[in-house]
Amino acid sequence: MDILIYGTINSIALALMALGFALVYGISRVPNFAHGAIYVLSGFITWTFLRGLGLNYALSIVISLVLMGVLGALLYQFMLIRVRGMAISEIIASYAIGLAILEGLRWGGFKGMSYTLPVFVEGSVMIGGIPIDFQRIVVVGFGALIVLGLWAFTHYTRIGLALRGMAQDERAALMLGIDSDLMAVVAMAIGAMLAGLAGVLLLPLGNIVVESGYNVLILAIAVCIVGGLGSWMGAVLAAFLIGFAQILTVVYLGSHYQMVVALLAIIFTLILKPSGLFGMQKELEERV
Amino acid sequence: MKMRGFGILAVLLAAAFLVLPGTQALAEEPITLGCPLSTAYLYGWDADRAIRLAVDEINAAGGVNVGGVKRPFKVEVMDTRDLEPGVPVSEALLAVEKLILEKKADFLVGGPVRSEAALAAMSLLSKHKKVSIFTTGFLSPQFHAMVAKDYDKFKYCFRIHGEAVQLVKEIMACFQEIKDKYGLDKVFIMVQDVAHARGGGEVLGKVATGKGWQVLGTEIYPTGTTDFSMGLIKAKKAGAQILNIWMDMPESSILLKQWYDMKVPALPFGSTLAAAEQPGFWKATEGKGEYTLCNVVNAGNAPSDATPWTMKFYDAYAKKWGVEPEGLGSSSSYMAVYVLKDAIERAGSLDSEKVLAELEKTDLMGVYGRIRFDPKNHQVIPSFDPKEGAVGSIIQWQDGKRVVVFPKSIAKGEIQLPPWMKK
Repeated sequence: MDILIYGTINSIALALMALGFALVYGISRVPNFAHGAIYVLSGFITWTFLRGLGLNYALSIVISLVLMGVLGALLYQFMLIRVRGMAISEIIASYAIGLAILEGLRWGGFKGMSYTLPVFVEGSVMIGGIPIDFQRIVVVGFGALIVLGLWAFTHYTRIGLALRGMAQDERAALMLGIDSDLMAVVAMAIGAMLAGLAGVLLLPLGNIVVESGYNVLILAIAVCIVGGLGSWMGAVLAAFLIGFAQILTVVYLGSHYQMVVALLAIIFTLILKPSGLFGMQKELEERV
Repeated sequence: MKMRGFGILAVLLAAAFLVLPGTQALAEEPITLGCPLSTAYLYGWDADRAIRLAVDEINAAGGVNVGGVKRPFKVEVMDTRDLEPGVPVSEALLAVEKLILEKKADFLVGGPVRSEAALAAMSLLSKHKKVSIFTTGFLSPQFHAMVAKDYDKFKYCFRIHGEAVQLVKEIMACFQEIKDKYGLDKVFIMVQDVAHARGGGEVLGKVATGKGWQVLGTEIYPTGTTDFSMGLIKAKKAGAQILNIWMDMPESSILLKQWYDMKVPALPFGSTLAAAEQPGFWKATEGKGEYTLCNVVNAGNAPSDATPWTMKFYDAYAKKWGVEPEGLGSSSSYMAVYVLKDAIERAGSLDSEKVLAELEKTDLMGVYGRIRFDPKNHQVIPSFDPKEGAVGSIIQWQDGKRVVVFPKSIAKGEIQLPPWMKK
């Protein structure tokens, strides 16, 4: 029972961490290595509005998410657009932005354990003799809503359809009058907001620490590689595979090996099926 | 008129010598204390602050009398980064070597902090014949085993704070009190994947089993772990009544938050639990860390009346830094500077051989009791009584405060159980 409950929670948490990364790559083909930094930054910004300025918690979260969206759009418009199409430069540029954000936060004094966000709902409940705190239930609920919301957005809205069109074939989308640069800006803004949302949902379970940015990036990359770069539904499925594998590892081998699961998943996927479960880079298959 | 001017000048000069005794010391060449510390982490920054406090006090009082010449201390801190996850030991060794070769440190006080790095640094310190007092975080029993085994090589190294074996003794004595009072006898061990924690957890498991405790399991977490829920469920399912935690990573406060949220019916007992040592722990866990027990290694790192110097140090630290002493390296780092001053003054020289000989003869009533080193292994001599040796401290978080609950000789309160553990 505990494996089922905590496997599901862990999987949804991983999906939340990875969705933004998968969405941005799927649409703009830019691997946003600043993803983990944005996750942490949203936590610190929410904390600043909540604790520093005394704003309402919900309002602090909304402001933080809007700021993350704006940040994502600006990062693309003024930095990443210049290196778009040059894969190595995209990685270096976005990773450098992430480093600057994370180490800038550390330099600015955001270190130690005193930065925390309150849980949305206090208390816990017993399900099948297993204690679950309400914040994890909130994470599961929001995670499911976000996945459904993203699906609806990309299937029933003009912008969403344009994003999908661009993800499928950028040249064809251009011929249909879709502004690919604008769509990439929108994708980056949504991706940054998703990273921020993951941050404000998951960080109340612990503390806001700079190091989380690096861990989240590794996990997001692992999920996206296993799921197939560019496929956000593949990312959701991969999150469940890795999430359950991690919990099984903790139960049967020990917590010590939990992180190894994600790293092994990357290695085995790249060896056996480099395009991932639902990858769009079929040419990778042909190389194996 | 001219004579009157000379007279005023003479009076002013005389006053300067009489009123400002420290001025002369400050004019002399300073004695450089090299401090290799992991400054981004608690055990680094609290040691840094404590060393600077002691140095400021000593310099303000005139400095160190070296063979009749008063010389001030000067502090050179270098970041070893050894407490940061993934940083190799070589970084710490580089910092130690830079302090010796570039900063021309006369003595080393402080770290490296992580046991792996400190043990590796011992050979380096011996090579340079630099007297070094380890003051924070370095809990591995291997230290004094190495000094005892190869005295001639490692004689320059001293450790002025408690170590893992003594910690286990204190914890077991405290466990016995809990067993007698509340009838708890099942323990689950949670350790961080670092040398002192793995070693400490293993030793505690063996000792506890030998003393009739049921050790239900050990869970090892990599540095930087942020989710402990499955480990807590394991402990709960196994029927644990005490969670024995060996972690110095700040993320351990998350463990206590999750323990509270899941209402795990086991008393959290930190052997080294950096997060819970700090006054900021209450705020960081939003009060969810209440009832957490924690060994802060030496008295003075939490308020108590161990000796007349304890609260004097505690208050001076709080006044200078605007925060109470935060972690296990505070009082020991402070005392190390005074102990070194005492040894230098008795030696009348900065010569390593002479100073180490005097350090071995140290007998000083300090912040956490009587400070003496075992001359064979250079470990500070511990005791449960501050009149006899360096006394430890186990605190419990009660109503937002760190209350010393062990040993009895300095306790300020009794151990309490969380409401969901009361029958």
